[in-house]
Amino acid sequence: MMQVGPSAFMALAAVLFSLGLYGAVARKSAVMVLMSLELMAVAVSLNMVALSRFVTPTEMTGQVFTIFTMVVSAAEIGLGLALVLAIYRQTRSIELTRMDTLKG
Amino acid sequence: MAYVALIPLLPAIAFAVLTPLSRQMRNRVRWIGLVSVGGALALSLAAFAAVWPGGSEEATYRASLPIAQVGGVDLNLGILLDPVAAIMLLVVTVVGTCVQVYSLGYMHRDERVGWYFAVLSLFTAAMLALVLADNFLMLYMAWEVMGLCSYLLIGFWHEQEAPRKASQKAFLTTRVGDVGFAIGLALMYATVGSFEYDAVFAGVGQWAPGVATAVALLLLIGAMGKSAQVPLHVWLPDAMAGPTPASALIHAATMVAAGVYLVARALPIFEASGIALTITMIVGVTTALVGGVIAAVQHDIKKVLAYSTISQLGFMFVAIGAGGAIAGMFHLVTHAFFKSLLFLGAGVIIHAAHTQDMREMGGLSKHLPWTTWTFGAGALALAGIAPFSGFWSKDEILYALYKGEHYVVLALAAAAAFVTAFYVARLWFRVFTGPVQTDHLKEGHAEMIGPMVLLAGITATLGFSAPFFSEFLGHAGHWPDPLIAGGSTAVALGGLALGYWAYGRRTVVLNTRSLKERAGYAYDALAKKLYFDLTYEYFLIKPFMSVTESLYRFDVKAVDGVVNGAAKAWNGLTAVSARFDLAVVDGAVNGLAGSARAAGRTLRKIQVGRVQTYQRYILGAVVLLMVWIVVKGA
Repeated sequence: MMQVGPSAFMALAAVLFSLGLYGAVARKSAVMVLMSLELMAVAVSLNMVALSRFVTPTEMTGQVFTIFTMVVSAAEIGLGLALVLAIYRQTRSIELTRMDTLKG
Repeated sequence: MAYVALIPLLPAIAFAVLTPLSRQMRNRVRWIGLVSVGGALALSLAAFAAVWPGGSEEATYRASLPIAQVGGVDLNLGILLDPVAAIMLLVVTVVGTCVQVYSLGYMHRDERVGWYFAVLSLFTAAMLALVLADNFLMLYMAWEVMGLCSYLLIGFWHEQEAPRKASQKAFLTTRVGDVGFAIGLALMYATVGSFEYDAVFAGVGQWAPGVATAVALLLLIGAMGKSAQVPLHVWLPDAMAGPTPASALIHAATMVAAGVYLVARALPIFEASGIALTITMIVGVTTALVGGVIAAVQHDIKKVLAYSTISQLGFMFVAIGAGGAIAGMFHLVTHAFFKSLLFLGAGVIIHAAHTQDMREMGGLSKHLPWTTWTFGAGALALAGIAPFSGFWSKDEILYALYKGEHYVVLALAAAAAFVTAFYVARLWFRVFTGPVQTDHLKEGHAEMIGPMVLLAGITATLGFSAPFFSEFLGHAGHWPDPLIAGGSTAVALGGLALGYWAYGRRTVVLNTRSLKERAGYAYDALAKKLYFDLTYEYFLIKPFMSVTESLYRFDVKAVDGVVNGAAKAWNGLTAVSARFDLAVVDGAVNGLAGSARAAGRTLRKIQVGRVQTYQRYILGAVVLLMVWIVVKGA
């Protein structure tokens, strides 16, 4: 039987994080960027849960922390979507490449 | 009696109050001048009453205020109120008040009317100070202030060229006389060491021979300039370019009489000299004749009156020169009233006819009844017809000549009186009778007619005071001598008759052209004012101008050359300094600013404003950091 160790979880988390990072940097749509950010947060949470389970099985620190992270990212996604809506009302567009009013 | 000092001070205060105000404000409060002169008139009446009945030394009031010390001698501002001064005070304030009231009507449409009243007040103040002075220096000071006021008022309408030129001419011509006056004062001071009348006259008998004559003649030159005596009379006709009421006050009634007043005041010096009196008489009779005949061919109504004034002032000098100073002063007083009356009347006529040329007037008597009657009183007084005041004073002058046995001068004066009557008739018939030549003839305002009626009343009645006038001044008075009175009346009537024959008859009108043809060369000479102006132009003004021209050229080439050279050198120096400044100092400062700007221009390119670009930067930085940690850690 194949042994599923912590490195497998960490590899999955790395793939997830890389997908998220790519999405955050490369997508034009603000909604897609938000989703990519969620993907990166999920990768981090997976790492914490897996390492907690394998390194310190008697304590629940990683799991508890992950609960916190999920709550915070839920709030964060609410705020992000609200921002996207506000921007859309102003400019009739959610393309990040057009949002360059801070250009120096 | 200290209130006497207020008499000249009141108008002076009015001037000081009016001058610093804005033009609009000054125009609004122009009545201040009238109030001040009216106050001076009231105080003058009080002063006159205090001096009454005159005739003696106790009747005088003196006061003096020391202002400076020169070489141990006090210089004072002093007041001497004696009968002569009291009479002059009344003349100046009465005529001054009349003219101010009249001016309210005459000048009411002028933009600078407030300034006009201010200068008029200053003039009145100066004339009153001159009359009250107890020393020659103060008299001289007031004399010069009057000259300034005369200049300002002649040139009152300085937008036009004629008044501007006339004011300069008046100022410069009287200046010629004033220089003589000033030298005379210096000589007097060198001899006596004082300017006080009393101190000067006390020792006049002991002066070195010739000194009295020199002082008297120098004073006479000053008087001739101010009183427009030949050959310094040329400024007065041109002075008519000023406002007519100012002419009435300054160039007929008061300022021009100041010369006569000066000679009358300095009479002891003239008497000590003797010859100076004779010269005064000769100057006077020449002026009386010259002024009279020139007046007879003038067409400008104000010029006729101006030459008439010159001529009448000549009569005053004749009187003083002949030993009849009282007669001269009396003529001064009567003349002040009737000549200012004539000038005020001329002002109404000019307003009504819109011209000063008598050839364009005619028939005014039907439309200007008040002016006609008051002007008639003044004209008869000027011609010397009883009972108007001019008759009495001219009679006294002729009587003084008769008594002094100056028969030649008497004949010449009689001739001048004849010419006077002739030009009076000429003026009268030209202006008031004959066909009407102007539409819309209108009588003057009430404030113009009122003063004229008052002056006409004085003109009609003042003559009867002739004997009392002498007694008031401390001499025996007398009623007219039948021989002289009859003779002068005959002469005056003859002149009037000739004038009527020439200008008064409707059927035969002797117009200018026919007179020109009959008199030929003589008429030309008179019409050119006996060439006085041309002579001055040719022998004085032109050479003077050529000298100034060459001086100007020297100035441009030599003096300006040096100045411009220095300026050019300095310019070169500053140019070098400027170049250094631009290249080095500014270069450093600009260089700093430029490099800062270039850095900013480069750096701003990475500030694209897109969030994802910044994310890429961060990603790159993190990758680099990790590579560094890995390499370093290994």
